[in-house]
Amino acid sequence: MPEPIIKLENVWKIYQLGKIEVPALKGVSLDINPGSFVSIMGTSGSGKSTFLNLIGVLDVPTKGKIFLKGKDISKLSEDELAQLRGRTIGFIFQEFNLLPNLTTVENVTLPMIFQGVSEVEREKKAKEILTMVGLENRIYHQPAELSGGERQRVAIARAFANDPELVIADEPTGNLDSSTGNKIMEILTDFHKKEGKTIVVVTHDPQIANYSREVINIKDGEIVANHQIGKEVLWKNQNISK
Amino acid sequence: MEKSEYFKIAFRNLKTRSLRSWLTILGIVIGVFLIVTLLSLSEGLKATITKQLRAMGGDMIMIMPGDESNIMMSFIGGTKIEKEDMEAIKKTEGVDKVLSMSYSGVVMRYKKEAKTVLLTGQPWKEAIDILQRFQGWSLSSGRWPISGKNEVIVGQQTASKTFEEKVKVNTEITIKGKKFEVVGILNSLGSKTDDSAVYVDMSIYQNLTGEKKGSAQAALVKIEEGASVNKVAENIKENLQETEKRRAGAAASNFLVITSEKMSGIAGSVLGVIQFVIVIFASIAIVVGGIGITNTMFTSVRERTREIGIMKAIGAKNNTVLLIFLIESGIIGFGGGIGGTALGVLFAKIIEQYGQVHPIFYFSASVTPGLIIFGLLFSFLVGGLAGFFPAKTAAKLKPVEALRRYE
Repeated sequence: MPEPIIKLENVWKIYQLGKIEVPALKGVSLDINPGSFVSIMGTSGSGKSTFLNLIGVLDVPTKGKIFLKGKDISKLSEDELAQLRGRTIGFIFQEFNLLPNLTTVENVTLPMIFQGVSEVEREKKAKEILTMVGLENRIYHQPAELSGGERQRVAIARAFANDPELVIADEPTGNLDSSTGNKIMEILTDFHKKEGKTIVVVTHDPQIANYSREVINIKDGEIVANHQIGKEVLWKNQNISK
Repeated sequence: MEKSEYFKIAFRNLKTRSLRSWLTILGIVIGVFLIVTLLSLSEGLKATITKQLRAMGGDMIMIMPGDESNIMMSFIGGTKIEKEDMEAIKKTEGVDKVLSMSYSGVVMRYKKEAKTVLLTGQPWKEAIDILQRFQGWSLSSGRWPISGKNEVIVGQQTASKTFEEKVKVNTEITIKGKKFEVVGILNSLGSKTDDSAVYVDMSIYQNLTGEKKGSAQAALVKIEEGASVNKVAENIKENLQETEKRRAGAAASNFLVITSEKMSGIAGSVLGVIQFVIVIFASIAIVVGGIGITNTMFTSVRERTREIGIMKAIGAKNNTVLLIFLIESGIIGFGGGIGGTALGVLFAKIIEQYGQVHPIFYFSASVTPGLIIFGLLFSFLVGGLAGFFPAKTAAKLKPVEALRRYE
């Protein structure tokens, strides 16, 4: 039994809106194991964004514990969390979230700069990944000169730049048409298959969730269904039949 | 480690908001320009005065009517050193030679032009030797005038600048209806006033202006070899006071007895005050520029909240964000510093070129490497300081909140 990359133990997140306490997550417990491909599904307001922020260690829980690779994140400083995020987690956002002033290749090298990777290595790695996502001809373009699908591919390249163990995608196809969206999902699935990366996709779209092996449904801040085990078997079988 | 990359990012960010960046830089440019210009001017002033004082020689004593609390009155006041006073000075122990001196503005005619010049009377017999040996006077052309004759020598500025047609040796000029021959032209004496004067024999000066024989507006004392300047100055003062007592009810009251040392002391303290005031005012300009930077940076932090969130999500530490923002404000400050210093130096050079042409003010400017370095460092410091709080705000943003903003 491998150690889970992310382990949530009875996690609560409560937002304080004026004098009213609004619980966004109510005692969620969950393991995400290395090498898995998980979809988190839920309607808006279900708490899935909060959930994503927590597993991406962008935020800390109000109650309960989160372990990232066995480390209790509540015991880490802001800088240590930043370091951990940069090294072990890659983010893909619905709005792409590229830095508008930087070119494609600069956007991809940025996480590596924060990790102190040498310039030669950075350039090499960035070009390699950009080729993998089919953007070798767009290296010196700025985000504004790229289409939505291209921007999301840059974001994917950026997410994988530091060889993270976990990639979290928040509605990665939300701002794209369905055929571009499918292509993006194929790229993600490819990374998962070829590099064995753990991928967590947050979505409200069952179509997208279909790409994953496991689906977790969240409703009103609680996990209502966890199809982890059953789906895994199914998916593996499919894989073999291919 | 990766500082050059952060520089690149910071630079790119500034370029994206180029109009705002330039305007902020302009604010600093103006402040630094002011401080560099004013300081170089006051430095120049100091250099000019020191030079003139040095030309006066170390063992000279200047005597003028008036008193120390109101020095300007001594220069422009109508009071005189009377004949008895002059005798008293001459008799003082340690005094070698006394050179009397008077000056007033007169209209001088040359060919078809008429200009106001400063007419200075000095007794040639004694003066020529002292002036040459201790004041560094020398002729660029012609000869020294003969005592008692209607001959003048003119300062360098008088010869070349005052009149449209240059005044030449062996030409004729007219002052108060009397004709004089220009026999010599002086080399520059290092002061605008001295260079723009016309020099005549004391007796002729007094005939011309109606000044009482034997009196003068000022006296320059050359002390004996080995005598102490301060001691002689003290003695002169005492003798003058005694003469004063004997002549009860006389109009002239006190005398100002200044050694060149004391003169430079007075000039130094006056200049010190001027420089202090200049620095205060110029600093205000810089502070205003600094507030401009703070303002721009705060706006920038607000606008880029999301970007900050992204950078943090992909692994930027608080200090990294802080550094990037500090570099940005530092660049603004330093850029402003370069611009301001360059403009200031340029302005100082222009003043140096044309300032001396002006007939009354003798402007000069001195730009030292120290001043340039000060200008640059100071502006960089202001930039960093002004950017610190906005940068701190940016660094402290929580990644989730920063990402959620504007969603």
